[in-house]
Amino acid sequence: MSAPYSPQQLMACVLARAFRDGEVVVMGAVPALPLAACRLAKALHAPSLSYVVGGSGTVNPAPAGLLSQSCDPELRGGPVTLPLHEVVLLEGRGGALDVFCAGGLQIDASGNCNLVGVGDPARPKLRGPGSVGLPFLPAVGRTVIFTLAHNPRTFVERVDFVSGAGDTVALVVTPLATMEPDPGTRRLRLASVHPGVSADEVRARTGFELPVPEPVPETPPPTAAELAVLARLDPAGVLA
Amino acid sequence: MTRFLDPERAVAGLVPAGGVVAVGGMHATAAPMALVRELARQRVGIGRLVTSPSTSIQADLLIGEGLVEELVAPYVGFEDLGLAPRFRRAVEEGTIRLLESDEGGLTHALYAGAGGLPFVPLPPAIGRSDVPRSCPELYREVEDPFTGERCWAIRALRPDVALIACAEADEEGNVAFGRVPFTDRVMALAARALVVQVERLVPVESIAAREAGTTLPAFLVSAVVVAPGGCAPTASPGFYPRDEAALRAYLEEARL
Repeated sequence: MSAPYSPQQLMACVLARAFRDGEVVVMGAVPALPLAACRLAKALHAPSLSYVVGGSGTVNPAPAGLLSQSCDPELRGGPVTLPLHEVVLLEGRGGALDVFCAGGLQIDASGNCNLVGVGDPARPKLRGPGSVGLPFLPAVGRTVIFTLAHNPRTFVERVDFVSGAGDTVALVVTPLATMEPDPGTRRLRLASVHPGVSADEVRARTGFELPVPEPVPETPPPTAAELAVLARLDPAGVLA
Repeated sequence: MTRFLDPERAVAGLVPAGGVVAVGGMHATAAPMALVRELARQRVGIGRLVTSPSTSIQADLLIGEGLVEELVAPYVGFEDLGLAPRFRRAVEEGTIRLLESDEGGLTHALYAGAGGLPFVPLPPAIGRSDVPRSCPELYREVEDPFTGERCWAIRALRPDVALIACAEADEEGNVAFGRVPFTDRVMALAARALVVQVERLVPVESIAAREAGTTLPAFLVSAVVVAPGGCAPTASPGFYPRDEAALRAYLEEARL
């Protein structure tokens, strides 16, 4: 019998397992989940992982809890902070950053992300915040997409606006499942369902045709070691 | 010569009606809210508002007041607290002209403005996004004179005035940022005039002790406005955190 865990804690574990030792990860707005994942990976299997909290430029910040603001003054470098324009230079250079943690109002079958809005961009039904750093996605080694909203409005066949192209998408993590691109078609397919979730449910809540492997792998639940690190990183229970 | 002004005189004297106004601060940190509120109070029309790569209440408030004709802002939102209600409504209802942009493009455009470059070619990745082709006012395709390949370029941004928040100023008008200058230094260098809101005045030795890249010389500073607490409800690094309750109250009212 494993310890109880929340969907976000499981997502943090799945993200953490995707980061390899020595890599450089960059994240953007609302960084709590990728921040947890990076610190978890660093604590357990990737001691020389580096991570940059984009907006602030802080490298390897280790605040007392998980922060939800990317420019929170409580973020402190370990010990370096890059000025934002230098983060921008590195994002554009190609190959300088290994993993970009991205998301979107819409995510499509090719892994394109849209933060601009739903509907005609000129007069959208829903206007989102804007593309920010997502246009840089093709310049990083891998894109890892995470979202808390697994529903047909978020996962669509084709985004209404490409903020960031899905060229380098390697993994998509949601509260229900993980997806990965088919190496042949580059379209997303189901990679694993989280414990207690069925492939049918994932397909029903995905707005594009989602290929399902047979048999369907189950996402390994958080280990005791992973949960112990998360409890230490997140005393306030942001991910609970 | 740097002038020391109150917010009222700084805005009245240095922000041209209908001009290109840059407002600094990233997300809900280091926004020059004393100056922003004064723009709203005097109802200064802004021809084009240019923000940091990610902006928040500092833009949403001005948009909500109906003062912004055209906007260059790669991200307007409140992160964990939600979307920017007045920005959202203005775009959805078509009452503002939004020029799509991205974090990298904006930063490079401000650098170009700061250095007198007419435009800057951008990394090839940008062309995979819909951003450049949806905004010909800012982005155009050019030919790389060395390789003959096509690439996207962004036009320089040269604001008439930049309004930013710093931590401290000395009596000569040299200013020092809080812990992280974000892109506010670039914005300051690109603008034709610069108004800096600070938390407090300090002796010149205190500015002299700061690291390169965390200060700006008085000759770039048109006016200093001493406004303790003036970033609230956003954070002022080294002084106070963001006022989450006040931001939530703003959002509640703005959503009506």
